[in-house]
Amino acid sequence: MLARWIVSFSYFLESSKRYKRVKTSIYNLLENPRSKIKPFFDFFIIFLVVLTVSILIYDVKNRLPYHFEVIENIAVFVFIFEWLGRFWISDNLRLRIISYYERKLELGEKPKLFTILKIITLQKIQYTFSPMSIIDLLAILPAYRSFRILRIFLIFRLFKMFRYTKSLNSFLKILKDKKFELNFLLILGIFAVLLSSTIMYVFEGGGENPKIHSFLDAIYWAVITISTIGYGDITPVTIAGRVITVFLVGGGFLILVLSTSVVTNALSEKISILREEKVLSHIGKLTNLIVIFGFGRMGQVLAAQLKKSHKKFIVVDISKENLAKAREYDYNYMHADASSYDTIDSVVFKNDVKKVVLTTNNDALNLSILLTIKARYKDLAVIARANSYENIKKFHIAKADHVIFPYQTVAEVAVEYIGNSVRFDAIDSILVQKDTITIDEILISKGSSYIGRSIDEIGINKFSVTIISVLKEGAKDEFIFNPDHYTYKFKENDSLVLIGEEKDIFKIKDDISRQMI
Amino acid sequence: MRKIVLFGYTKTGREIAKLLLTDEYEVTIIDENPMQVALANEEGFFGRHTTLKDDKVLIEVGIGGEAEVLFCVSDDDSLNLFVTLSARNLDKNLKILTKILKKEDGKKMILAGANRTISPYDVGAAKAYRIIQKPKVSKVLNQLSSLRNSISISEIEIPKGSFLDGVHLNDIDMTKETNLIFLGMLDKELGEKFIFFAKGINHKIDARDILVVLGSRKDIRLFEEKIWT
Repeated sequence: MLARWIVSFSYFLESSKRYKRVKTSIYNLLENPRSKIKPFFDFFIIFLVVLTVSILIYDVKNRLPYHFEVIENIAVFVFIFEWLGRFWISDNLRLRIISYYERKLELGEKPKLFTILKIITLQKIQYTFSPMSIIDLLAILPAYRSFRILRIFLIFRLFKMFRYTKSLNSFLKILKDKKFELNFLLILGIFAVLLSSTIMYVFEGGGENPKIHSFLDAIYWAVITISTIGYGDITPVTIAGRVITVFLVGGGFLILVLSTSVVTNALSEKISILREEKVLSHIGKLTNLIVIFGFGRMGQVLAAQLKKSHKKFIVVDISKENLAKAREYDYNYMHADASSYDTIDSVVFKNDVKKVVLTTNNDALNLSILLTIKARYKDLAVIARANSYENIKKFHIAKADHVIFPYQTVAEVAVEYIGNSVRFDAIDSILVQKDTITIDEILISKGSSYIGRSIDEIGINKFSVTIISVLKEGAKDEFIFNPDHYTYKFKENDSLVLIGEEKDIFKIKDDISRQMI
Repeated sequence: MRKIVLFGYTKTGREIAKLLLTDEYEVTIIDENPMQVALANEEGFFGRHTTLKDDKVLIEVGIGGEAEVLFCVSDDDSLNLFVTLSARNLDKNLKILTKILKKEDGKKMILAGANRTISPYDVGAAKAYRIIQKPKVSKVLNQLSSLRNSISISEIEIPKGSFLDGVHLNDIDMTKETNLIFLGMLDKELGEKFIFFAKGINHKIDARDILVVLGSRKDIRLFEEKIWT
């Protein structure tokens, strides 16, 4: 009976949009690394931790006014909410119960209450005893009056900060890789301490040294000596004690040096991975991202132009030499093999990508990236560079949205030069922006006061721009070449294509945005 | 037949050669790489495997003589520079177009004696940029190049005694009556540089100036007839 009730409640939750929405928003607040709100919440929690710990420190020598308790209570309340939230979203129990129930249904068996309860408790208990959850709980614990003695656990709140400092987590992850070396050094250290403190105690613990009363004193002395701190509060007095000190200091120095080099090595080995993780988490927050594969000459020129117009992009290349430029200009970049699925997955599929540009000089690579992307998202716009005339068709078959074959365009322009250089200059300047003259487009959007008026009426002629055409939005693009300045009236969603000085075009755009009704 | 020298049967060189495959031109293709030369010959051109580092070869292919235009489009930047310099040294009037890797190299090539420079990477990048940032512009440019039969860019020299001779540009509005777009002009008084009308300078048109217009072939022909009056 209870089992049925739990199952139907799971179905009810699964069908409730509201429940899911609330859960998603809690997830966004607490866990989703891509959400915009999480950084603020994290910052708030860190602030609370620092505040309550500072109060604790201040409290040692001063009496606090009563209302400081309120801050403590608010902080604890927030911490409890946070823990409960994480406890809730740690797992989707309803889905587990439903899938268990449906499996049983297929087998024609009745769902067992015991198994359902096991599913519920096991998952949640597992979460409760996970390291992160224990840190959170320890931070809440000292708030109970009866546990006042546990006030010292307040410093566990400082551990909460681990949760929010990603670099620290990555650092620990790096050290994990060197587990063997570090363990070895640790065991070596413990062995040296135990050995030398035993020898010390045997030789000087029997009253020879007035400072050593117990074995603990000997261990304390050994640790202080091996770490090369050497306070000097306990010093050996016998010959044997001094001999063992010499060896201990030598060994301690070696262990210290070795562990330093192990950590440094691990860091330098993994620093690029750390950097990449950082870049990926950064671009994960961006929207309308442009991904450029290949940072050769074409990729570099394109990136420079995109940077100029404040577009968000990332470049991917396998050549370190090429990427040195990207580092110099402070672009987002990934040093990765674009032919591997993982690279495309982490850069393209996991992010909000608007367009992908393939600029490598290798058609096989360009095609392979193109097909990988199109196999997954056929609507994602891909602009591909073809490096040989024969391959253009292949790019079209692979459904590239645009294929650029720069050599043909260049040849066409170059051939113009045989005749008179004038036409060459004109075409060249339009195709490759060489001075302040640029070809641009201006959209007449809904609500613009330009609608229903002619080119002459809107006063565009006071700027010395050359109007080329009007492009009408629609099922198939209608194209009006050289629109009449007096009789053509603008309609909604017309795009005006014109040549002019950058500053003039900027002024016109500004004018349009200001004249919105 | 106009004599043209093409140095470098590269991706760019190959496309140029294809476009020049008419009776109008006699193209000499030179490449330092025998594989490229073989490819050129295979594809129906006359390729020669030699180097242009030696002035004797330059003279042999007609530079300093009949050759009118030199395209330096090899993949080696410093080689292009060297050939440009040697050719300019032999012939002051030769038209030299040199391929560069990026805009910054342009000045160096001009200093070496190239008349104009061009970069396929700039062209490619600019095209990709337009598709991303100015999709309408790239649509219009595509249309213009696909409609090549009807709409084209044309240059028109102003003859002596034309009704346009001595007229200030801003005083007349020809766009409406001619149905042409006036892009810019080459003003002989100001030198060899092409100037866009969109720069906003009020030019005085003189005889021998060259106007660059965009329009249908029919309208261009009508305009050409008209300026003689």
